[in-house]
Amino acid sequence: MQQRNDATGTQGPGLGWRINKLLQLDAMNLVILVIAVYIIWSVISALIDNPARYLPSPIAVAMSSVDMLYKGLLPSYFGDTLVRLIFGSAIGLILGIPFGLLLGINRTVADMFHPIMNFFQSVSGIAIFPIIVVWWGNSDKTIFAVILYTAFFPIAFNVLSGVREIPIRYISAARTLGASRYQIIKDVLFPGAMPHIATGSRLSIGFAWRAVIAGEMLAGRQGLGWMIFTGQDADNTAEVILGMVMIGVTWIILDHYLLRPMEADTIERWGLVQR
Amino acid sequence: MSDTIAKEGAAGGILASLSIAIQTRIGRQKLRKIILGSIPFLVLFVLWQMNTAFEWLPAVFIPPLGDVLGAAITLQEDCVGIGGALAMDNTCLLTNHIFSSIGRVILAAVIGLPLGIGAGILAGMNRTVSRYLEPVGVFANSISGIAWIPLAIVWFGVGWMTTLFIMLNTIFWLMFFNAMLGVRGVAKVYEQSVLTMGGSRWDVIRHVYLPGAMPSIITGMRISLGFGWRALIAAEMIGGDSGLGFMIFVSAEEFKIEEVFLGVIIISLIYMATDRYLLAPLEKWTVERWGLIWKPT
Amino acid sequence: MTAKLVVEGLSHHYPDEYTGIDVHALDDISLEVEEGELVSVVGPSGCGKSTLLNILAGLLPYRVGTATVDGIRIEGPGPDRGVVFQEHAILPWRTVNKNIGHGLEIKRMPRDQIAKRVQEFVNLVGLAGFEDKYPHELSGGMKQRCAVARTLCADPVIMLMDEPFAAVDAQTRITLQEELNRIAMATKKTILFITHSVDEAAFLADRCFVFSARPGRLKAIVDINIPRGDRIWSDMNANADFLAARDEILKLVREEVSVATEE
Repeated sequence: MQQRNDATGTQGPGLGWRINKLLQLDAMNLVILVIAVYIIWSVISALIDNPARYLPSPIAVAMSSVDMLYKGLLPSYFGDTLVRLIFGSAIGLILGIPFGLLLGINRTVADMFHPIMNFFQSVSGIAIFPIIVVWWGNSDKTIFAVILYTAFFPIAFNVLSGVREIPIRYISAARTLGASRYQIIKDVLFPGAMPHIATGSRLSIGFAWRAVIAGEMLAGRQGLGWMIFTGQDADNTAEVILGMVMIGVTWIILDHYLLRPMEADTIERWGLVQR
Repeated sequence: MSDTIAKEGAAGGILASLSIAIQTRIGRQKLRKIILGSIPFLVLFVLWQMNTAFEWLPAVFIPPLGDVLGAAITLQEDCVGIGGALAMDNTCLLTNHIFSSIGRVILAAVIGLPLGIGAGILAGMNRTVSRYLEPVGVFANSISGIAWIPLAIVWFGVGWMTTLFIMLNTIFWLMFFNAMLGVRGVAKVYEQSVLTMGGSRWDVIRHVYLPGAMPSIITGMRISLGFGWRALIAAEMIGGDSGLGFMIFVSAEEFKIEEVFLGVIIISLIYMATDRYLLAPLEKWTVERWGLIWKPT
Repeated sequence: MTAKLVVEGLSHHYPDEYTGIDVHALDDISLEVEEGELVSVVGPSGCGKSTLLNILAGLLPYRVGTATVDGIRIEGPGPDRGVVFQEHAILPWRTVNKNIGHGLEIKRMPRDQIAKRVQEFVNLVGLAGFEDKYPHELSGGMKQRCAVARTLCADPVIMLMDEPFAAVDAQTRITLQEELNRIAMATKKTILFITHSVDEAAFLADRCFVFSARPGRLKAIVDINIPRGDRIWSDMNANADFLAARDEILKLVREEVSVATEE
């Protein structure tokens, strides 16, 4: 408070204030940050022994991206990973949402399945991997099963919780108006659980993203996860870092520009039962 | 004749009063939920047993429950008593893996949580700090803990340091965000009130930011330990040489499915025990004690 | 009598947080508050009342003019000026007792002394029996009593109150006003009370400072010549002096409101 007022409180909107405002801009801030990270990274890279192994310079990483683009590997890996994520989480959501709703129709059934869903949700998909790998080996099917499992339980569990949290009086009110079972689902349960569906979807996709990367590493199927894993194996650290940056950037774009706004919109619009 | 009726009546009376006692002690609604909730577990258990009996799916895919329990005994076979297990003797295979995983969790929590909370409070207090730390954190979180594993292997080699690093990295950033948002959520007027009573910056941190952000910090602990645990298991699989994750991965390669099942069950049980019986009640307690209101009313 | 708070030629500008356009909040304010006196400050919204309070509390740095308490220039917040905020600013994670003793704790007073003094103020504001309750267990009125007790307990030279009763219901408000009057008389505290309610300003104050619309200037000072010990709401409605003072303040404020709307 004190410091902020010192900066903006007492002087007129002169040059100082304007510079101050400029520094508060996100874009400006990000540029400064990127430059700072670039410099620190380059300096460390220049100082250590064997940077190619431990921390290749940003330029080396950029060069490796050019190399991989040229060979066509980067787009292919990126595409593989994205396709897995989209299919895995889409099917997880398509199965999970109705499953959660169906269990939630009846309060007794909802109470019955809540603990076991909770149990399965807490078994992480990654821990399931070794079981599935025994069943199906190191195949795409295995990765897909892991993604599906990780995506399915958070969304189904969230929908179930959402339905359980809808006050009984809403359902009773609909009943007294003569609503049928189907109408109750359509007009009360589904819209009531909407904020939870939104939150659960984002959670599910987030978990699925981690599962894709881990699954590719473990099962050794081509994709970004595999790229960083083999990069490490082949002592090509530049490739590892490139893969990490791509994983990070992809998720930031997905989460901040697609999933979060969608979640916020849904909660705002359907937020009647918001916690 | 009348005797037996009296006896039956007495027995019925005891049963009835016992049932009432249980109901009042636990609560009728809660009891109902416990009984209902255990049904799917029982069904699953019965199905599992039936699979063993009828072999719908072969035992190499779904091991009999007996084998899973047997695996625990086999792994501990050569272990000499509890003393040996606690001393982490080489022969105590299962307990060694458990202790190795839990040890890393504790170490990572002891180091990572305070650091994350400290940095988060600092960033929550000071806009300049948060303007630069926040994007770094967003990025670090987005490279989900797991994607750091290969680089960690390059830096630290396969083993303890790599797995610890992955868990620390995951815990730190999640804790950082929760503490920062918690501090930002504390109404300015509380800070001002302490300042106008002559309080120092340190008084403000101690009396306002830390308690004000406490519900958010506890939630952050819960979330970060949950994510950390998942990341740790993955790290042990890919870049570890001990721990439950390592155990199930190696067992899977050797097609010892019963050991894999055992490991997965233990992993879930450890997570559920800490989350539901330690962290969740702690979270509930802080929120209830301070009346849900770290927002101004 | 000596002046406890002296403000001379205080002006304040600040750039708007979003547009950067210069806001002229206070213009050449000079005023004095005598020892043991309760003065109220009224004015239309946006007249700079809150800016004045923030400057006096030390939460807002100022450059033009001077403001002194006991002859010492105000530089930042300090325990010589206690503030009762508009919102409930008592800490939700401290019990009533711990909240009231907080100022003394900050001063590093020994525990047993704090406890003794806190008990005194708990009784004074009528919170006996609620010592170990958390704020969320108190009603709005009780929260503000607690806030007043907290400020008084730290024994400031002057107590600054920023529309402290704005958030409570009308009935509680009347009670709180009478209570504050009683407490102020009992502790002989010097108080500067900011409000937008003309009734409140006239009922509580020895003198009422009326501010003009933005930029805030001291437009008039209205004396309310009724002994503070005699003031009870049930009598005031029939008290000619009170009604006259209130109507005068009302007239002065309304002129400003119409000026503001014409602009």
